[in-house]
Amino acid sequence: MEAENINLFEFAAFDELESEHIAAPRYSYWKSVWRTFFKNKFTVAVAILLVFILCFALIQPKLSGYSPIVTPNINNASMKFLKPSAEHIFGTDHVGNEVFDAVWAGARNSIIVSFVCTAINMIVGIPIGALWGFSKRMDRWMLEVYNVISNIPFLLLAMILSYVLGAGMRSLIITMTCTEWVFVAYFIRTQVMIIRDREYNMASKCLGTGTWTMIMKNVLPYLISVIMTYASRQIPTLISYEVFLSWMGLGLGTTNASLGQSIAMYTSYMNGYPHLFWIPVSVLAIISISLYIVGQKLADAADPRTHM
Amino acid sequence: MKKGYISKRLLRSILSIMIIMLIVFTMVYTMVPRENIFFEDSTYRKLSSKSDDKTEYVYSTWEKLGYLDYVRINDYCLTLYQAGAPEMAAAVAPDSPESQDFVRIYTEKGYTIENYLGNGRYYAYKDVPVIKRMASWLSQLLVIDTPWSVQDENNPELPRSLSLGRTPTGGVALIGSGSTHKYLLYTDSRFPWLHQNIIKLNFGTSYPTYQGLQVMRVLFQTQGTEVKRHVVFETGYETESGINFGTLKYKSVLDRMDRKKFVDNYADYEVFRNQPSMIGTSFRMGILAMLLAYFLGLPIGVLMARNKDKLVDKLGMVYIIFIIAVPSLAYIYLFRYLGTTLFNLPSVFTTYGPGDVRSWILPVISLSLPTIAGLMLWTRRYVVDQMSADYVKFAKAKGLNQREIFNKHIFKNAIIPIAHGIPTSLALCITGAIITEAIYSVGGMGKMLPSAIKQYNNVMIVALAFMFSTVSVLAVLAGDIVLTKVDPRISLSEKAGRS
Repeated sequence: MEAENINLFEFAAFDELESEHIAAPRYSYWKSVWRTFFKNKFTVAVAILLVFILCFALIQPKLSGYSPIVTPNINNASMKFLKPSAEHIFGTDHVGNEVFDAVWAGARNSIIVSFVCTAINMIVGIPIGALWGFSKRMDRWMLEVYNVISNIPFLLLAMILSYVLGAGMRSLIITMTCTEWVFVAYFIRTQVMIIRDREYNMASKCLGTGTWTMIMKNVLPYLISVIMTYASRQIPTLISYEVFLSWMGLGLGTTNASLGQSIAMYTSYMNGYPHLFWIPVSVLAIISISLYIVGQKLADAADPRTHM
Repeated sequence: MKKGYISKRLLRSILSIMIIMLIVFTMVYTMVPRENIFFEDSTYRKLSSKSDDKTEYVYSTWEKLGYLDYVRINDYCLTLYQAGAPEMAAAVAPDSPESQDFVRIYTEKGYTIENYLGNGRYYAYKDVPVIKRMASWLSQLLVIDTPWSVQDENNPELPRSLSLGRTPTGGVALIGSGSTHKYLLYTDSRFPWLHQNIIKLNFGTSYPTYQGLQVMRVLFQTQGTEVKRHVVFETGYETESGINFGTLKYKSVLDRMDRKKFVDNYADYEVFRNQPSMIGTSFRMGILAMLLAYFLGLPIGVLMARNKDKLVDKLGMVYIIFIIAVPSLAYIYLFRYLGTTLFNLPSVFTTYGPGDVRSWILPVISLSLPTIAGLMLWTRRYVVDQMSADYVKFAKAKGLNQREIFNKHIFKNAIIPIAHGIPTSLALCITGAIITEAIYSVGGMGKMLPSAIKQYNNVMIVALAFMFSTVSVLAVLAGDIVLTKVDPRISLSEKAGRS
């Protein structure tokens, strides 16, 4: 029996290429990120809600064509201050316009501004912050640059820019990026300094890796979750800035819809017609909170240590 | 800490502040159209648009504010002839030889020459470069009061002396004669008990809002209505007055009432009012909010960390996310709404005024909400990080109980980064809270910068920018020093041997 069985086996040829291969479970970074992200049902629900809101905010204003300076019902008292109903979902405001249209047109601008600004701040701030954290020589004078830029009065800057460039989206975006990047850079600098002198970076340096390669290959991938956390906080913060600036009258200007402007405008009707104030505020809160939660969960999922 | 580190860093901080001021000066004085400063000026509006008075007013105001050098043909002719001399009338006319000289001389000096619209006479102006204005602003910033400060043509025999004496309210005082202030150094019953008038900051005179008032006085003088009390003046005159004797200043021309009250030329004074100054209001509110935030934020953060992933932690996180994600404008209104409907608190500060505790409750809570959230978040983070550290496991193995480990080890380590932020949050109190103060109509500092910007009060903008940036740059330095005091392991300067 045994001899017969042995005859059933064959000697395999020695494959040099195969012997060099290290057996490891198949790992794809982005697949793991998505798997971790979709594991939590609550997160998925918030993400779906967020996608729905974003699409709605981007498309609805195109269909309604809302503009705060077009007020067809301004002389029609029966159209003003209507309570929310089936016909007027969010009611109507002091000039007889649909609050529903105003809110979504405002949300669209707020979302666009905050996303664009966050992107610019991150793109500028991260490389500068990474270099700043690496170079001690740069640190000495960059700290003073930080001291200077972070202390320029934000409101003054906003006003000057709206003068020079005229109120509108362009000046608002420049206002919220031309000093804000320095805070991103400062944050990244501190993070980089913490891991700059870890053993694996020392080893890499000894092997002759250049600074830029070390930043791109060793440091930034390690920081991806921290950066995501920061970005997800930055978006609500910038929406908040936009609201504040519009409230001060330095935002997008009266011709553009904006949530901040709506809130500022409707504040005076808070006692008589509370829906005028609370509806934009709630929409804003829902957008900000869902953006923040999705961002935080993405940050968690982006950390390879959670993939095990 | 290496010796000399602090002084070097202080020097660099001063340099930073100067650069900030240069940027602010450039923005305010070159990028904002200079015509805008007249928007809020009632005198300007009263002048008819084409009169020479208006040109005169505009240019002399600009000169006063340091925008430009302004020379009239009259000024030039006064250097040639006596005032009221018969040649003057002919000389100032546009076609006179003096006018031709004037045009030639000032064109050579780089001035722009123009004619008044009405009488056609010449005037010349030249912009002052930003650096020069900033230099003159800096040179006037510190004012030191000496017995030689007052140079008054009406009163050449003014005695110049310093003496020790008493104030009318019974305090000890260093009394000056010939100085701007009468009481250079004095004590009284008000906080901080010892007051000085020797070194004062001078930010210039406010324009166009609070016109004619010193910026420092706008920010620091008490507000509201005068608090009168029975006063006996040096002359024996008795009346009801709110006079603050400490603020007595030199006055050149005395009227009948002044002579009745005072024996000397020190007759210019401020009065006590019933509400704190702008800076005082903001500072009180800020300090209360900060205390509340630290008393609540720290323990709740610790509680969350000790019950990580349990109900308390989750509730805390909900609050933190709410505060981070919802714009402050919205939640301040929400809390005001809750406070007024549920607890029947006043919705604005002015209902009961600063003398009533109820006025302060809602603004202070609103102001502390974000700070509480921030402190909860970071305290929780730091404590959680420390709890998994090896030294904690070691302490547990050695048989220390939870409380001992926590109070003696974890808390001490976790508090280090928190302590770093205390000076900054303390310093930020004086800047006031823009949104909170506006929503509750509190008469504090918060509104000053926005309204100064809106009303083109450039003097005020520059003064506030200087105050705020100085305080915050120094607070960052103070924070680092606190850090080294709390944790002696931390060194601010680079260690020897490390590049």
